[in-house]
Amino acid sequence: MTSKNSTRLKDSLVEVKNLVVRFYTYAGIVEALEGVNLHVKPGEILGLVGETGCGKSVTSFSILQLVPSPGKIEGGEIYFNKDGKVLNLRKLDEDSIRKIRGKEIAMVFQEPRAYLNPVYTIETQIGEALLTHRMEEFLKRAIETLEKTGKGSSFERKVYERMLKKPKSRMTRIMAKFCSKKTLKEEIRKEVIDLLRNVEIADPERVAKMYPFELSGGMAQRAVIAMALSCNPIMLIADEPTTNLDVTVQAQILKLIRQLRERFKSSILYITHDLGVVAELCDRVAVMYAGRVVELADVYELFKDPLHPYTKALLESIPRPGREFKSIPGTVPNLINPPKGCRFHDRCQYEMEICRKVKPEFMEIKKNHFVACHLYGGSK
Amino acid sequence: MTSLPAYIARRLILLIFVLLGVTILIFAITMLVPPDTRAMLYVRNVQHTSPDQLRRVAQKYGLYDPFYKQYFNWLQQVLQGNLGFSKTSSQTVAEAILTRWPYTFEIVLFAAPIIIFLGIYLGVQSAIHKDTIIDHACRVLSIIGWSLPSFWLGLLLLSLFSGYLGWVTPGPLSPDLMKFRDSPASGFTRYTYIDLFDGLLNGRPDITLDALKHVALPVVVIVVIDIALLIRVMRSSMLEALNKPYTIAARAKGLDEKTVIYRHARRNALIPVVTLSGMLIAGLLGGLVITETVFAFGGLGQWAARAAIQFDIPAVLGYAMLTAFIYVIANLIVDILYAYIDPRIRLV
Amino acid sequence: MSTKTRWERLKTEWAPRIEEWKFILRRIGESPLAIVGIAIIVFFIVIACMAPILAPPQGRDPFLMPNDEELASLTPQPVPPTTRHIFGTVISNQVAGQYDIYYGCIWGTISAFRIGIMVVAIALIIGITIGTISAYYGGILDEILMRFTDIIIAFPGLVLAMALVIAFPTLIPVDITQIILMLSAVFAIIFAAFKPERKFVLPTTIILVVALYLYLNNPIILSMNLTKLDKVLISLSLVGWPSYARLIRGEVLRVKNEDYVEAAKAAGCSDLRIITKHILPNTIYPLLIVSTLDIGSIVLTAAALSFLGIGADPNYADWGNIISMSRNWVSKPGLLVQFYHTFLIPGIFITLFVLGWNLLGDALRDVLDPMIRRR
Repeated sequence: MTSKNSTRLKDSLVEVKNLVVRFYTYAGIVEALEGVNLHVKPGEILGLVGETGCGKSVTSFSILQLVPSPGKIEGGEIYFNKDGKVLNLRKLDEDSIRKIRGKEIAMVFQEPRAYLNPVYTIETQIGEALLTHRMEEFLKRAIETLEKTGKGSSFERKVYERMLKKPKSRMTRIMAKFCSKKTLKEEIRKEVIDLLRNVEIADPERVAKMYPFELSGGMAQRAVIAMALSCNPIMLIADEPTTNLDVTVQAQILKLIRQLRERFKSSILYITHDLGVVAELCDRVAVMYAGRVVELADVYELFKDPLHPYTKALLESIPRPGREFKSIPGTVPNLINPPKGCRFHDRCQYEMEICRKVKPEFMEIKKNHFVACHLYGGSK
Repeated sequence: MTSLPAYIARRLILLIFVLLGVTILIFAITMLVPPDTRAMLYVRNVQHTSPDQLRRVAQKYGLYDPFYKQYFNWLQQVLQGNLGFSKTSSQTVAEAILTRWPYTFEIVLFAAPIIIFLGIYLGVQSAIHKDTIIDHACRVLSIIGWSLPSFWLGLLLLSLFSGYLGWVTPGPLSPDLMKFRDSPASGFTRYTYIDLFDGLLNGRPDITLDALKHVALPVVVIVVIDIALLIRVMRSSMLEALNKPYTIAARAKGLDEKTVIYRHARRNALIPVVTLSGMLIAGLLGGLVITETVFAFGGLGQWAARAAIQFDIPAVLGYAMLTAFIYVIANLIVDILYAYIDPRIRLV
Repeated sequence: MSTKTRWERLKTEWAPRIEEWKFILRRIGESPLAIVGIAIIVFFIVIACMAPILAPPQGRDPFLMPNDEELASLTPQPVPPTTRHIFGTVISNQVAGQYDIYYGCIWGTISAFRIGIMVVAIALIIGITIGTISAYYGGILDEILMRFTDIIIAFPGLVLAMALVIAFPTLIPVDITQIILMLSAVFAIIFAAFKPERKFVLPTTIILVVALYLYLNNPIILSMNLTKLDKVLISLSLVGWPSYARLIRGEVLRVKNEDYVEAAKAAGCSDLRIITKHILPNTIYPLLIVSTLDIGSIVLTAAALSFLGIGADPNYADWGNIISMSRNWVSKPGLLVQFYHTFLIPGIFITLFVLGWNLLGDALRDVLDPMIRRR
């Protein structure tokens, strides 16, 4: 398995290998992820599909090491290919991971108004992201503007230059506190309005000064996307960004996402439970069930030739006019005491003796088509 | 309409109604006392007045009139500043309040900010270090503090620091300094009537220091007892904020933990705490009655306590009305602060 | 159609709630602070029950501390702990004598329980009734009632209680028939408003008619003598109910629009039934927490009133009352040190008692808060 992995590593942007996450709750230990494998190639949209509760969000949070307590990442690796250098995100210290969050890998969430701070304006929050990751650039712009227009005091300019040269010294911080930094704020403001315009928000000047609760769901989601893209990330993780929106708004956001991929050439990990969106938007798809990725393939390949019984059942259960409605019998297993072998075994129509006892390995069965199932020799 | 001024205007109108209601309640309590007993307030020498004479006095001052008539007369008097006569302090209620408020103010001046800021700090730290020693220690200590009777803690501290160690005398100032301050010959001018400030203004920092020494113990008592509530509310509010989606989103933006905690989580967590601060003022004004009595501080609380012991109804009711007014106004300020911090509330 | 007996139906109806309570009890049992709190409360219950044995009463009223006249003739000052008075003695402003502090502390336990539990119970009843009606019927009634509670809450508890205690006349003429009439009228209004089931209408009308007849023809007027303790009880109850009213109003407002209430209304349940069977059980938890904590703070307020001398009759066995003598020595702290026993030990009793309830209440809040949140 290792040789196959290293070749995969070279042409993927992010790779998750055997990720194990557990939640220590009062009711017991929840085995949320029991070995998730997936990889995102540069410039592609990878869809991550699965029912509610299968661990899609946990996976996405894990990539940025944001798993909320009482959850803990307890196994596996997460590799990020940054300009040729391969970093193991699990082994990075806090400072390094923070440089990646929001800058190289950014996230967009499900309910945008809940994920925006209700007491700050849009302008302030997007500006915050800009100041965190692109401070130097804006300082330089501010100095340029000061030189060009001649407005603003020389004290202000001195402060900016000091902030560029010695950002961490105490003297710099004290001086910065006494300075109004008007020009800097104005530069940030211009950029924020630009960003908002890029996500097709009409009247961005007005929206920038609004609070999250004043925006509609669609607008808020656009603002969040603008914020995520503000630092030009190479990968965007979108966790069900359109689930809570009206269908018409959803279509607009999807269009927006596609345009952004064209423009910025970033990869997107798109999480959803809607197979229709997957078919429309994604290049490749990973199917998750009860804490595992059970199948990963190109979109067309998956829809044409689904290998895993769960995928097959999923595709069959899509309601179609003229066909009888089929659902998958049984329920999702309780993750506090999950079954030992394959977690789908009690609902699978091809269940074998081995499925109850041994976990199937995640293997490449056809070219670029991965499955975790004993039907295809999932045991080693 | 998320404008601040409109919100303030609306709250002000509501304020007037509540203040009016407070006066009605105070007056209703006055009316609990039978008219003949109330007539005693109008008589100079109570012992030598017969019940018949009392009844005539009551008649004369309209004490048998219907409720609304007496209320309007009373309200008129109150609005002109006549709050009645306090027999225990041999002055009008208004005078008693004016001469005594500086001492109470001294205590509140220190106690309120300490409770608020120390409480916020400890609450936030408890939340960040949840379930560690800091958290548990804070919690246990603050529960114990909340369980202490204020008069008992006061007596303990007084007997220890004043009786046993002799570090400080009871009262707001050392007796010789107080004599100095009050004697006309000394040239000490009481600009603000607050010894803390007057000492500096008169070029006598030793008086200021002495006042500080004396105000320390009452402040300690009040802080120890009242801080528990603030710590608890801050802690639970902070814990909630730390688990909110926007905190996770802030981290996902790459902000450092300090910014996430203090700029994002805490600002939201402060909202219920701000509301609580209003109620805290009320608790302070109530607790002062006991604390001032124990430390013989000479402020409004001690006056009200003595009045209560001797059934001086105008004084007690005057104090009650004053505290209610302060509470209502304090709450208005708190509500405005709340609207400033949380823009969502301006729609209400 | 249903083959279950009434008992079986009740069991299935209550089963999930019983499961919930078992979970709550288990979680409380896991918290060490809660165990300490319960232990303290049990300790005081034992003392209260064994009071006649631990401190045998001498005289008619066991709540009056006995006067050691022999000692009183020897010295007018409080005596520190000796073998005869293991906590020492305290003197009184009103009636000269030496009073055993140990006796006062033991019987003071019963006073504390009585005040705490009775005030909280009365305040809960009034508060829940008014709060529920206010929230359920809304509109102008809600506005008026809430302004009224606002006004009472504007006063610091101790201050309002002080004012009420001294304003209450000691001798009240109580017209029993008038009270019966008022109560029956109130009930009648409540029933009418709640649109009761048919079976309630007749008994209510009968009671009302009887009360009216009694009032008009045979007024029974008694003179009630209110002791200081009674006044304290009434005052604290009147001061305490608004916070419960607001609390339950908030909860009822939240629950009022839930689906199951709509369903019950659609099924034709009377308002009273909806309130008692659907709304109240789901709104009562925050009140449980607050009332446990309040028992402690009511005892503290009552002790403060006794300390000031307005809360208890002379020589009454009440912790605050024993300490009230210390007021005289506040200007001479040396005396305080000399007579430390008069306030140290009763104060420990108060602190421990309140601490027990506070620990229990705090643990309850820890357990119930996330549950309440989840709802």
